[in-house]
Amino acid sequence: MSDSCLSATIAGITMANPLVAASGCYGYGFDYRHCIDPACWGAIVVKGTTLHPRLGNPPPRLVETPSGLLNAIGLQNPGIAYFLKYIRVRLPELGCPVLVNIAGETLDEYRRLAALLNGVDEVAGLEVNISCPNVKKGGISFGCDPALVYELVCRVREAYRGPLIVKLSLEAGNIVSVAEAATRAGADALSLINTIKGMVIDVQKRRPVLGNSTGGLSGPALRPLAVRAVWEVSQAVSVPVIGMGGIMQAEDALQFILAGSAAVAIGTANFVNPAVPKEICDGLKRYLADNGFTHYRELIGLARPGS
Amino acid sequence: MHPNSDFMHRCELVDLTRVAQGCFRLKLYAPALTGAEPGQFVHLRAGSSTDPLLRRPFSIHYVDQKAGEIWLLIRVVGPATSALSRLRPGAELDLLGPLGNTFPAREEAAAAMLVAGGIGLAPLYFLARRRLEAGLAFDLLLGGAEGSSLPGDAFFDCAGLKPMLATEDGSRGFKGTVVDLLKQRLESGEKPSRIHACGPVPMLARVVDLGKIYAVPVHISLESLMACAVGACLGCVFPFKINGMLEYRRVCRDGPVFNGEEAHFNFV
Ligand SMILES: Cc1cc2nc3c(=O)[nH]c(=O)nc-3n(C[C@H](O)[C@H](O)[C@H](O)COP(=O)(O)OP(=O)(O)OC[C@H]3O[C@@H](n4cnc5c(N)ncnc54)[C@H](O)[C@@H]3O)c2cc1C
Ligand SMILES: Cc1cc2nc3c(=O)[nH]c(=O)nc-3n(C[C@H](O)[C@H](O)[C@H](O)COP(=O)(O)O)c2cc1C
Ligand code: FES
Repeated sequence: MSDSCLSATIAGITMANPLVAASGCYGYGFDYRHCIDPACWGAIVVKGTTLHPRLGNPPPRLVETPSGLLNAIGLQNPGIAYFLKYIRVRLPELGCPVLVNIAGETLDEYRRLAALLNGVDEVAGLEVNISCPNVKKGGISFGCDPALVYELVCRVREAYRGPLIVKLSLEAGNIVSVAEAATRAGADALSLINTIKGMVIDVQKRRPVLGNSTGGLSGPALRPLAVRAVWEVSQAVSVPVIGMGGIMQAEDALQFILAGSAAVAIGTANFVNPAVPKEICDGLKRYLADNGFTHYRELIGLARPGS
Repeated sequence: MHPNSDFMHRCELVDLTRVAQGCFRLKLYAPALTGAEPGQFVHLRAGSSTDPLLRRPFSIHYVDQKAGEIWLLIRVVGPATSALSRLRPGAELDLLGPLGNTFPAREEAAAAMLVAGGIGLAPLYFLARRRLEAGLAFDLLLGGAEGSSLPGDAFFDCAGLKPMLATEDGSRGFKGTVVDLLKQRLESGEKPSRIHACGPVPMLARVVDLGKIYAVPVHISLESLMACAVGACLGCVFPFKINGMLEYRRVCRDGPVFNGEEAHFNFV
């Protein structure tokens, strides 16, 4: 099948395929260049970026769990000023659209980040992270309250004219209300899910393993929860959903698409197999050909009753 | 759209030998990796299931350019290393590399001291053989809890290496830790041009302290849990103190070899 069977438009962003490199797992897009051409992605979302530089959490920051990974990076990043001055100019080298994931400690920080990125040509859109489980202020504490989410997204929307994606957590318990609030406030798309808070205890030391005690769970262990979240949210809102959580291969991506994802993001799988975007594209094309479809778009939400 | 084969490899295991208790040497046919230098590592996948999920980092233990082989030295501590120890020659391994920086390769008149704690021997063996081949002077100090946890004499003899051993139970060589042995050598007036150390973090901290006392620069090779191993996830960081400021550096990309004086051991 030709490559055009995977072409996608999400929140007005034209992408060669519906695969997105998930925030925090792909740096600024350059680190995997020795392994694979970054242009093979539909889009890349860069590491969570904050108004001021952040040191991040003390190590250890990672621990493996059954079919999963707990991370507590704590949004280590050089801050938006550094990004705009040094990283922005290099982004066109990547050869695919790049989105910036932003995280604030206050509503005003989110608004200022959005204003600073407004009109920046090298940035295709924003992903507003209201769901980071690894920082004390901001992050997930915003993402659980639909009224607060509405307020936050309204402020970002006023400050930023380009494509706006809001990233949700399942932690809220009411992900559908949060999704509806974000959409009402003007989000062009939603991405879900962020990691879920977990813990591992070292029984020899009788202490939590991670320096931050808790961390966010990603990888295959998260997948069924994420597929369910996409299923619920995509039926409740009219904007496209970017699904993620434990996608390792084409079959996993297909689950998300059939549940209602218009695109899928891939994080942890890159650590295991840097060729994963290419392999999933090939796998999706094979599935389309084998099952008599001409474009992946025909599969979106096809698992829903009545489809 | 093509994975770059310079960094992603499928290599055949040509030999697996038990060299000490719980410690195995793997020889992989990997001509594309024979340009690797001491200090660098590979990130390899033990099996194809999602448990264990992540790749695991291992130092390059030696490069045999003629045979087109890279060697690994692996101590069994958990599921991935145990799966690797059960492989048979002919098995195919999926690995990324070579990754990371190298021990600084400066030619000095005075001998360098290579200080290895346990499996920290893996990269220092490579450095030692490189120095031997280049005719550069060095001493190799190797410590372990007990004699049986360290490779036997033949392992070193056939490479022309003569390590000074330290065992805590005194069953082989000096009785005490490798740091005690290093301390004794420095106290007796020896003045190496520099120290290269690899081993557990508490050991490295003590070696760096000795380096400060005796004014010998120390290079340390750090270990850390890794996810990406290419610098993308910021998961493997270690604290450093640079101009009085705390800074987290990535062991995989900024290291694994660092200037010991800058490592902020008190923080961990
Ligand atoms: C740059 C680098 C080079 C390395 N080189 C070698 C080498 O040459 N030979 C070798 O045998 N090992 C080496 N290691 C360590 C090796 O990566 C781990 O032993 C391995 O990941 C353990 O996997 P596992 O599934 O068997 O055990 P796990 O279940 O992952 O771990 C078992 C136990 O070991 C501890 N552990 C795991 N990884 C590390 C680590 N990186 N450092 C300290 N403790 C750890 C865990 O906390 C746990 O208690 C290196 C690590 C790094 C970062
Ligand atoms: C090491 C690591 C760092 C992450 N950092 C961020 C971040 O900065 N911002 C964000 O929105 N999500 C972050 N995430 C979450 C991922 O983008 C993604 O939502 C999650 O990992 C689920 O997908 P996966 O199972 O494919 O990894 C991070 C995940 C990991 C594993
Ligand atoms: S392991 Fe990902 S940055 Fe080092």
